[in-house]
Formats: sequence, C-alpha cells, structure tokens
Amino acid sequence: MRKVAIVGGGATQCGKREASWRDLVQEAGKTLFQSVDNISPKDVDSLIVGAAQPERFTFQAHVAPMVAEYLGIAPRKVLARTELMCASGQAAIRYAWACVATGMADIAVAFGVEKMYMPDMAEAQTNMTCVLDREWDGVNGLSAPPFFAMTAQRHMLEFGTTKEQMALVSAKNHHYSTMNPIAHFQKEVTVEAVFKSPMISPPLNLFDCSSMTDGAAGVILVPAEDAKKYTDAPTYIIGSGQANIGNVINGLASLTEWVPLKMAVEETLRTAKITRDEIDIAEVHDCFTISELMEYEAFGWCEKGKGGKFIEEGQPYIGGKIAVNPRGGLLGCGHPLGATAILQTLDILQQFRGEVQSGRLVKDAEIAVAHNLSGPANVHSIIAYSRNP
Amino acid sequence: MMSVKINKIKRTDMIRLPNMLDFYPLEDEKSTKISKFFQNLKEGKLTTTKCKSCGKLLWPPRIICSECSSENLEWIDLGVEGELYAFTEMKLGAPLGFVEDCPFCIGIVKIGGLLISTRIDDARYEDLKIGEKVRLKIVELEDGRVFYRFYKVREQ
Repeated sequence: MRKVAIVGGGATQCGKREASWRDLVQEAGKTLFQSVDNISPKDVDSLIVGAAQPERFTFQAHVAPMVAEYLGIAPRKVLARTELMCASGQAAIRYAWACVATGMADIAVAFGVEKMYMPDMAEAQTNMTCVLDREWDGVNGLSAPPFFAMTAQRHMLEFGTTKEQMALVSAKNHHYSTMNPIAHFQKEVTVEAVFKSPMISPPLNLFDCSSMTDGAAGVILVPAEDAKKYTDAPTYIIGSGQANIGNVINGLASLTEWVPLKMAVEETLRTAKITRDEIDIAEVHDCFTISELMEYEAFGWCEKGKGGKFIEEGQPYIGGKIAVNPRGGLLGCGHPLGATAILQTLDILQQFRGEVQSGRLVKDAEIAVAHNLSGPANVHSIIAYSRNP
Repeated sequence: MMSVKINKIKRTDMIRLPNMLDFYPLEDEKSTKISKFFQNLKEGKLTTTKCKSCGKLLWPPRIICSECSSENLEWIDLGVEGELYAFTEMKLGAPLGFVEDCPFCIGIVKIGGLLISTRIDDARYEDLKIGEKVRLKIVELEDGRVFYRFYKVREQ
C-alpha cells in the first residue's frame, strides 16, 4: 500500500447561492485546478464524487461523469459517485485514497457537491426525511432536527447538560466562521441569540441546527512519494476509522452514547499511530450543537456526560485542550452534504499551510482529524491528517 | 431577420403524490411480504416478527432473520400500551404531506422490549413527560392504508 497525500484543493462560496448545481461544480473545479500549478484536468485519471441526493435536490442521477465533463476530466482508471448522506464527501475521500494507495489510481480527485435550496422548502425537507428509515421512522416526521432534539433531551436528562452549554457550541463555531470567507454565515451568534432564534424542534432552536447550504469542493490526491512534485506543503493521510451500528431507532446502540464513534476513534488512533492528545485540530460534525458536545465525549477529550462542562471551561477553543472546528463547523459554514467533508479537509490543508486568517489559525498544528456522522448518528467516519509524511 | 416564435405549452399541474413522495409504505400482498403487519394493525394489534430459530425479536418486521437467516418467524403482539422514552415537537421544517399537521409531537416509545419512533397525537410538547404512559392508536389514510401512532393517556 502506498502512502497518500493531498496536494491541493478548491471550493465555492457556500451559502444560499443564486447558482445551479452545475454552476457550483464548475466554480469549485476552477479553484481546484488553480490550486496546483502542474496538474491539469487531463492529468487526473480518477474521480470520486460525493453527492448525497442529487436525484431529489436537482433530479439528476449518474452525476460522476457529469462532474467529469464539466471539469474537463476524462477518467481512465476509476470513476464513481459515493452516497453516505452527510458523510458522502468523506466517503469520496476514503475511496479516492484507497484507489491511490492500492495503485488503482495515480492522480485522483475527490469532489463533493450539493445544491440544497429548492423553490419549495417543504420539498427540501422531504428529501431530508427519507434519510432515516423512511417507512418506519421518516413516516413519523422524524428528520434530523427531531432526532437530534430527542438525543439532546435524553442527554440533558441523563447528564444534566444545559441549553446554555449547547448554545456555547453555536457561538464558538459562528465566531470562527466570521473569519472564514467561504462560510455560509459571517455574523457572530451569541448564546442569547441562540435562545431567541425560532424554535425548530424543542429543545433545539434554529441556531442549534446547521443549515441547508449550497456548495461544492474538491481535493487532489496523489502518492505521497510524488507529492513534492506538485506542492511544497502536502497534507498526508495517516489513518482512518469508520463504524456503523444499526439504522432504525430500535437498532441504535444508544441515543446518548455514540458507540460507533468511540470505535471509529480507536481505529483512527490505532491506524494513525497517534494518541488523542496529539490531535491539534478536530473538524468534527456539529450538525447540531448537541452533536459536538457528544463528540468531545466520544473522542475521549472529556468524561462521558461532561461535554457541556468541557466547553464551559473553554477547552475546545484555539488555545484550549483541543481546537475544535476552527473552520467554523457545519453550524457556521453551512452543511452542503456531499461537499462538507471535502471542505473540512481543504481547511485542514490550509491550516497546515498557515493560509487561514490569524484569528482562527492553530499555530504549528501538525495533526488533524476530520469527522462526519451520518443518518441517526449510527455511522461515524474519521480521517486523520498530518503535515509530516 | 426571421422572428422566432415563443409557444406556451401546457403540462399537468401535479404529479400524483404516492408515486414519489409518500412516506407511508405500500401495504398490500402484491407490494410487500409483511402485509400481515398491516392486516394486524387493522385489527387493532401492533405486532412484529420474532425468530423461532434463534429467538431474536426483530423490528421492523422481517421475512428473514438478520441474526441467523432463518425464515421460521412468528408474529408477536407488542401490546397497546407503551412508555414515553423521548419526545419533541415538529414546529418548523416539516416535509410535504405533514406541513398541514404542524406542530405535531414525535416520540420514541418503549413497548414490548422495543424502542420505536412514532407520532404522539392529542398532546402538545408542554403536555408530555418522559416515562409517562402512551397508548396505541391506528390512523387510516384516504386510500384505506393504515399506520400506527400513540396518544397521551389522560386521567378520566
């Protein structure tokens, strides 16, 4: 198996964009190829496209060759689209990585795209309600906000977590996103503002929830031994972990303890040969404020049930125990499903290069993780990155 | 220069809902091998399958046991009374077909050794408490299909 590096990447502005799915693809493609001097679309032999629901959001299937056509890529080794809902982009990176590592591919693009704003918001919500088991959970109106609302309710009951603690996550991540020019949200959000935002699904207010977002992004993967041909500052993939338990509500391991995440964390640490305390940057999946608190716990940075206290003590900030979501998270940057993991990875690459605004720069960071959950938090996917080979 | 005409064309206004976006499953024998579940519901019984070979209680109902691959399954009655394990209320963001119902309560109910999600009818969020009793009800769609919900049990 070959070691693999990411040598460049690009992304669109994220937000409620006055642009089509195809426009987003082209914008991200242009910035992607501008990021590396000596790789042109024609050099790319493989393309994996992370896209969660193009069939529903834009009524388009078979999207991988469409992205290839718009980007000017003529894949001759591997071409596919990956769907793992909110982790679709991470699935794209994982398979592009595996292809380069095994020698199936030599220059691969992992791309992610989602156009989520539709003329009718209820139709967009409908798409999001077939993510959980549609006939047994979605049928009850169970989409992500009510699911994570009940997760938060149980966490509050069992561990004494408060809405204030949850709101701190939103305030932190929106603060960092004000310093990320491609983020969906560019304004500070206070704890008070979270409480005053419209109630979506109690106990979750609007600012406890990540948003529907339009966006696209891509990164280029090559064998590590070739990486310096393309850039002085590659980012190396050093390990990963992924686990899934169950799918329908009754099949989940627990509502308040994400057992598959704990498994994925252990596998990531084992394969990357790092300890949890060596991680400098954690881009974790804050689809809802409660998610990030539970991720502190499952990553083992604090005790089970103490996620709320962890942020109250200032630990998950830059300069604290671990910099969590210095990109601005999904809460601040928005969550264009297929693109999210690519955006996280691109930001880690820019952090390692010192190319992000100083207010959210994690100085001398060497090791980072990108985490995505999907569905009813029954699937967790992590990739570990290093600045050093 | 030749002028180019713009012709208006007419399309049907609506695509029939069940084809694309119906959340409720197809229940008849021609559409599913677990139509018995829905027949039982019509008789007021919430049931699921249990594997007679390995004893695994399976939710949702199966035709093959996911633990041991046995097809030797039996229907088990889960009873009509459950306990509220968690709940919330859909206030904003409902999908098509449920927008008119907003706000409505959604819960996870402990019943017969299972945790199942369900609509909780006849209550607002403020009326509900974790651990309280909820009772089975059946809703019938306009085309005769049925589904289960629960409702808050109130003192007489």
